[in-house]
Amino acid sequence: MIEMSIALAALKVVGYGLAAIGPGIGIGIATYGLCVSAARQPEMKGQLMGYFFIGAAMSEALALLGLVLFFIG
Amino acid sequence: MGEALEKFVEHAQGLYANFESVTLFSIGGWNISQYTLYMFIAFALVLLVVLIGARKLEFIPHKKFTAALEYGYDFISNSVGADVIGEGYKKHIPFLASLFFFILIANVVGLIPGAKAATGTISITWALALVSFIYFNFYGFKQLGFFKYMKSFAPHGIPAPMIPIIWFLEFVSMVIRVLTLAVRLYGNMLAGHMILAVFSLATTIFLQTAIFSGDLLVGLPSIAWFFLLFFMYALETLVAFLQAYVFTILSSSYIGMAIHPH
Repeated sequence: MIEMSIALAALKVVGYGLAAIGPGIGIGIATYGLCVSAARQPEMKGQLMGYFFIGAAMSEALALLGLVLFFIG
Repeated sequence: MGEALEKFVEHAQGLYANFESVTLFSIGGWNISQYTLYMFIAFALVLLVVLIGARKLEFIPHKKFTAALEYGYDFISNSVGADVIGEGYKKHIPFLASLFFFILIANVVGLIPGAKAATGTISITWALALVSFIYFNFYGFKQLGFFKYMKSFAPHGIPAPMIPIIWFLEFVSMVIRVLTLAVRLYGNMLAGHMILAVFSLATTIFLQTAIFSGDLLVGLPSIAWFFLLFFMYALETLVAFLQAYVFTILSSSYIGMAIHPH
């Protein structure tokens, strides 16, 4: 039984790691887009920040769901 | 070296127990945990900061503290409110500024060694997220009316058969905002403090083993651990600001989405 619980704990960590891959890529792409567009049009930066945070929050939500599953699963 | 590593792994397993809520004392049936205590400390500090800052208001502030406080309020007003909410943002600035300053002060209090961040427990971030959630839904209802607000989740210009599916998905993502707001703040604060705890534990254990065994070579890694701890502490200071900012800007963008549907 002890091996089972250790395997379960290990699988939770691995699952959270898998859940963090996609949002990591997503936030990276969003930051890239923000940097590129702010460099081209610095006066748009304030407005773009709002879109960036909404997009980053949406993709980060998946990683956070993984974290929640880590605690309750 | 192996002995120190073994001891480190053994101690690191019980680290999470330090972060669980413990009842410190009860007042009239209310159990006060250490996080609740730090929440009240953060409340008191926010009140103190605002009372000292607003003691003598002038058109052009001469005191440095008041000027710094007004800079913070202006920052919320201009770069969070005006840019993200858009039209009619002035009404929401007091709410957003209170959120920002409370979370910022709670996070910064948690950076003092030995203190706990009030935002490092799910209960308090859950309450904060629920306040923000009720706030933006209330203003959405007030601005648009119940049915129009409910309809506004589905965007315009999509084919008619797709509307119920898109509406349902958007509605779920609206409800899940309360979860993500709460877990983002909690997860960031807990993980940051856990990393600081792991590095300080490693520093201590390697140093202790070196002293007790008389083998100075074992003590060398603790220098590296200490520098890692130092840099992580700097990073955590940044995260304390960033998470307060992110919570505020997300709340304001949710308010903006609720009162200006597209």
